[in-house]
Amino acid sequence: MDLDTLRFLAAPFAASLILTGIHAYLGVHVVERGVIFVDLSLAQIAAFGATVAILMPFSGGDPHAPGIYWVSLLFTFIGAAVFATIRVKRARIPQEAIIGICYAVASAASILAMSKATSESEHLKDMLVGNILAVSWEEVLKTAALYAAVGVFHYVFRKQFLAISMSHGGGEPPGLNVRLWDFLFYASFGFVVTSSVAIAGVLLVFCYLIVPSVAAMLYSEQIGRRLAIGWSMGTIVSALGIFLSVQLDLPTGAAMVCTFGLVLILMALVRPLLVKRTVETR
Amino acid sequence: MTTFKLLPFAFLGVLVALPAPAGAALNVITTTADLEALAREVGGDRIKVESLARGYQDPHFVEAKPSFMIKLHRADLLIAVGRELELGWLPPLITQARNSKIQPGGAGYLDASLTARILDIPTGQITRAMGDVHPSGNPHYWLDPDNGKRIARAIAAKLSEMDSANAAYYKERLADFERRVDAADQGWKAQMAPYRGVKVVTYHRSWSNFADHFGLDVIGYVEPRPGIPPSPSHTIALMKAMREQNVKIIIVEPYFDAKTPNSIARETGAKVLVMPPSVGGLPQASDYIKLFDTDVKMLVDAIKATGAK
Repeated sequence: MDLDTLRFLAAPFAASLILTGIHAYLGVHVVERGVIFVDLSLAQIAAFGATVAILMPFSGGDPHAPGIYWVSLLFTFIGAAVFATIRVKRARIPQEAIIGICYAVASAASILAMSKATSESEHLKDMLVGNILAVSWEEVLKTAALYAAVGVFHYVFRKQFLAISMSHGGGEPPGLNVRLWDFLFYASFGFVVTSSVAIAGVLLVFCYLIVPSVAAMLYSEQIGRRLAIGWSMGTIVSALGIFLSVQLDLPTGAAMVCTFGLVLILMALVRPLLVKRTVETR
Repeated sequence: MTTFKLLPFAFLGVLVALPAPAGAALNVITTTADLEALAREVGGDRIKVESLARGYQDPHFVEAKPSFMIKLHRADLLIAVGRELELGWLPPLITQARNSKIQPGGAGYLDASLTARILDIPTGQITRAMGDVHPSGNPHYWLDPDNGKRIARAIAAKLSEMDSANAAYYKERLADFERRVDAADQGWKAQMAPYRGVKVVTYHRSWSNFADHFGLDVIGYVEPRPGIPPSPSHTIALMKAMREQNVKIIIVEPYFDAKTPNSIARETGAKVLVMPPSVGGLPQASDYIKLFDTDVKMLVDAIKATGAK
């Protein structure tokens, strides 16, 4: 056996490490804010934007035309603005309700838009959603650069972002323009999610965002530790998921999603043992 | 942390243990089971052939698995249905397969549709008013025994070009296959002869070539556009047409949801016939000729049972 298999899996594995890096971090914010389904909603809004763009004459019906990305990003930012606005008007209507409504309406609107497409639309959904197995090195490098930029942005303004996410539901953090920082959070988040879904698909991106963060909460309250646990878990699950997918010849994305679930269950089961021990060593 | 460091090595070890390819036989990969069956008819034991999709899967949507990459990487020849059938899943796999031979246009890439008779090719300007249009024609062309022979000829020519030492063998097998198809086709046509012009409705536009060859009259489709749920007005218009023309049979591919066809059947008194459009779609449809044996028998039985005209 040559190293063919390994060579094929290098790019998907590198992509999964990049996804772990940014999503485990963003997941901490998302879970703190209690807006679990915001990524599904924004991804669906982006997909709706892409479908609308394909219908417009400039794209010529080609799902890979350059203008399509920008239209879908524009839709994502509109979605981000909506989510940032509803937080300020908090109180009676839960944010998750608005997020869910946006998801349902954007999904249905995509179906309506596709029913008006000139050429056949059966492949459209597939072409908008990536398959991590078929990711190219070019995409990996481009995504790495983009996410590094987003990461630097979040690192520079970490105080503001953390203050807003942690205060969610409580009082407003003093001296901050909440609406602006909320918009910047959702916009950068939507930007990342749109790109991630294009290489890894909706389900896998959701897992990278939520599962490491939830798993880390089982073990620690502290943000720094939670990040470390989340990143370790994401890395191990990525390797294990790809490994299982090769061994049992299963569709890679779905195999990774199920591995996330299994590892989370495992971590929850061993938690009583480990947590007791850390308390004792203190 | 040690487990984490060891993981890549464990990973490598298991991969190295996987079996290696053997022999000098041409390594042929097809996208669908129908093309696999045809390649096997021609190539016999001189080639190794395997299909990516299974016969019971919808060839429009195939979930890529790691083994696909390895198979494509090692393939000498990739045979695809073409006409945009595999557009949703195959192109990124070919690009990432690190195999220059099987790139579209390369010496190891065969688009089986190029020599086949393709139906439903739109002429002139495509407009939205035309509804569902495949710009390059209907990709379900293998469901016509004459096209089966044409595809087999194209495969034989390609194999002989790549492996001239066995050209005589491929030629002989091709001739034998064509003889068997012709003989079987006479039987199929004889079975269908009493029912020429029988009116049917199909779910997807998969059966155009089949209907053309065996003289079925397809008066409408359950799905107005692939992948889009039918609108109420479409369904009502279809049921009205079915009642007026006394259509008794709705042909549905095994991978489509039968809910809508079943409700139309209830309303109109028609019968839903789930019929395999590909080799391997049912266990008894195990090769290209048996696929037609199966479909013709199922159709004739359904026509007899419903008294369709």
